[in-house]
Amino acid sequence: MIPKAKSIGKSHPVALSICSFLQISQSGAMFCFMIAIKKKICLLGTFAVGKTSTVERFVYSRFNERYLTTIGVRVSQKLMPPMAVPGNSAKVQVNLLIWDIAAMDRFDAVVENYYRGAAGAIALGDLTRPDSFGQLAEICSRFRSINPEAALVIVGNKSDLQPPNADTAVEIDQLAQQFGAPAFTTSAKSGENVDAVFSRLVREMGAPV
Amino acid sequence: MNPLLKQILAARRIAHWQFDADLNIVARDRLAKTMPSLGNEPGGSLLAAFPELVGSEDALMAVIRGERKDLRLEYVNRNATDGDPSYWHLMVLADRATDGGILLAEEVSKLARLQQAYNQQRYEHVLLRQHAALRGRFLMDSILGDSPAICDLRDKIKTLSKVPTATVLLLGESGTGKNLTARVIHHSAMPPDAPLVEINCGALPDNLIEAELFGVEKGAFTHATASRVGLLEEAAGGSIFLDEIGELPLNLQAKLLSALESKTIRRLGSNRAIRVNVRIIAATNRDLQAEVAAQRFREDLFYRLNVVSLTMPPLRTLGEDILTIAHHLLAVFNMEFKKKVDAFTAAAEEKLRHYHWPGNVRELSNCIERAMIFAQGTAIDAPELILSEGIRVAAESVNDWSVPADGIDLDTVERQLILSALERAGRNKSKAARLLGLSRDTLRYRLEKYNIT
Repeated sequence: MIPKAKSIGKSHPVALSICSFLQISQSGAMFCFMIAIKKKICLLGTFAVGKTSTVERFVYSRFNERYLTTIGVRVSQKLMPPMAVPGNSAKVQVNLLIWDIAAMDRFDAVVENYYRGAAGAIALGDLTRPDSFGQLAEICSRFRSINPEAALVIVGNKSDLQPPNADTAVEIDQLAQQFGAPAFTTSAKSGENVDAVFSRLVREMGAPV
Repeated sequence: MNPLLKQILAARRIAHWQFDADLNIVARDRLAKTMPSLGNEPGGSLLAAFPELVGSEDALMAVIRGERKDLRLEYVNRNATDGDPSYWHLMVLADRATDGGILLAEEVSKLARLQQAYNQQRYEHVLLRQHAALRGRFLMDSILGDSPAICDLRDKIKTLSKVPTATVLLLGESGTGKNLTARVIHHSAMPPDAPLVEINCGALPDNLIEAELFGVEKGAFTHATASRVGLLEEAAGGSIFLDEIGELPLNLQAKLLSALESKTIRRLGSNRAIRVNVRIIAATNRDLQAEVAAQRFREDLFYRLNVVSLTMPPLRTLGEDILTIAHHLLAVFNMEFKKKVDAFTAAAEEKLRHYHWPGNVRELSNCIERAMIFAQGTAIDAPELILSEGIRVAAESVNDWSVPADGIDLDTVERQLILSALERAGRNKSKAARLLGLSRDTLRYRLEKYNIT
């Protein structure tokens, strides 16, 4: 018999801010705990770098050639595979709340509210547009100023159109060093490295409980 | 909740949810119930109903405690039941009556769609500009090869990119890449949004070229019912590529020279001079100096165009570059025909190297395209490369031609000869007409007759 999930977070608002919404359930006779955690992550970057396409590929395994600008924010959810907790019989399953945030012309309170409480972010640039990486440094700085502890992964997207050239490789490397973040090249179109980026971000977000 | 506030919210069609200090929904209004894309039953968790608030729990509690005025999220995007997303402005306020809060939601889908249409246009414009700039950079790489002649050509183009006003004359046989070189020169020197207008002076009837180049003023002639901008005017701020300049009629050569000298043009039927700042890139496969000597080309225009001249090297002089270009074409046609041919056999490479390629890259491209269409395996062999040399040998011995025993269709022969002449002339109709001993108009009539495009 599986007992009803108990919510700890509701009575501990502070805990909510650390690990979002925490549920604990007992499953089966083995008394193996499955801990489900909601984590908010953001997709950052200037327009047309492939933020929405990356989410679509990761969450729904699909790709649309047509470019359609995002307005505001769209939240998608995806359950990551359960992970073992070191030194514990419990397993953790992260439910990613993925915030696909439109490119912003300015940073104001609205953007702050979009970024608030995120445990991590994927910062994307477009390998066919080297200047998209230049703008990424400022976007990442703003994000970190609101979430100083948040994990970051730097991504050069559209590798199917163009592999990183000498210029973009240097820019990606500099961003990765500046923000202490791992870097990947991905293709939302082919799916190359997309799952790896999200898995790495979950790992970078650190201890799940 | 204050009844007056409720009335105001209902009148403005703003839905609301009340929640307690544990962030559980305790009530919602009638409007909230009718909105399938948002909301949850009373008793449910506010964060489950609005995952957009996850991560903002601190801010929510601060609002409830009165330490913060409100919490706003704009343009929250939800999938509506009809598939189109709906957009909402969310705002959380403190609710003194319940010691909790109120979440207000106003649908702003119409506003969001307007904003989206505006952003879409703006971003697409920027992307087009950026891609145009990239195209210029990539175009330089599209001049393939490492032979001294190609390296020299690339160096000269790089130098020319620093002088965006210099007139350039491209010389060389048909199919040597004059058109591509013109585009590289333009994109490497001009801003990304500068226009590049191309006209083939040999492709238009004499009476139309003038109107095309200089434009027409309304009423200039019987059918000129509206004014029309000419190509020189359209190219203002960029470049105009005058292909087959040697075909330009003599009377227009004088008018073009005048336009180049004065940097002004006059539309047909107009006295008004219009200033145009255009870079001229001209190209021809004719020997312009011989044309000048034969008085078919104005000497003064020749000198005006011949500020910087680049002579395109014929393919047969490029050595191993022939194979580089052939392999590039292989990749192109693999994509086009969805095939996986990745090599030439040694015999095929030998054949490519030693043929004299009178039609240059255009002929090489046609040859490989033909081979790729019929290719079955992963490599192209020598017999699959059909060269036009065989056709040439047959043409040299016209006297030996005879009708086969089972007869022949004369139209088929004529059509084949026209195709052959066009290929030999690099699709240049004037040159093809000369090869066949026809006038351009006669050739045009026969092209239409045999539906050759």
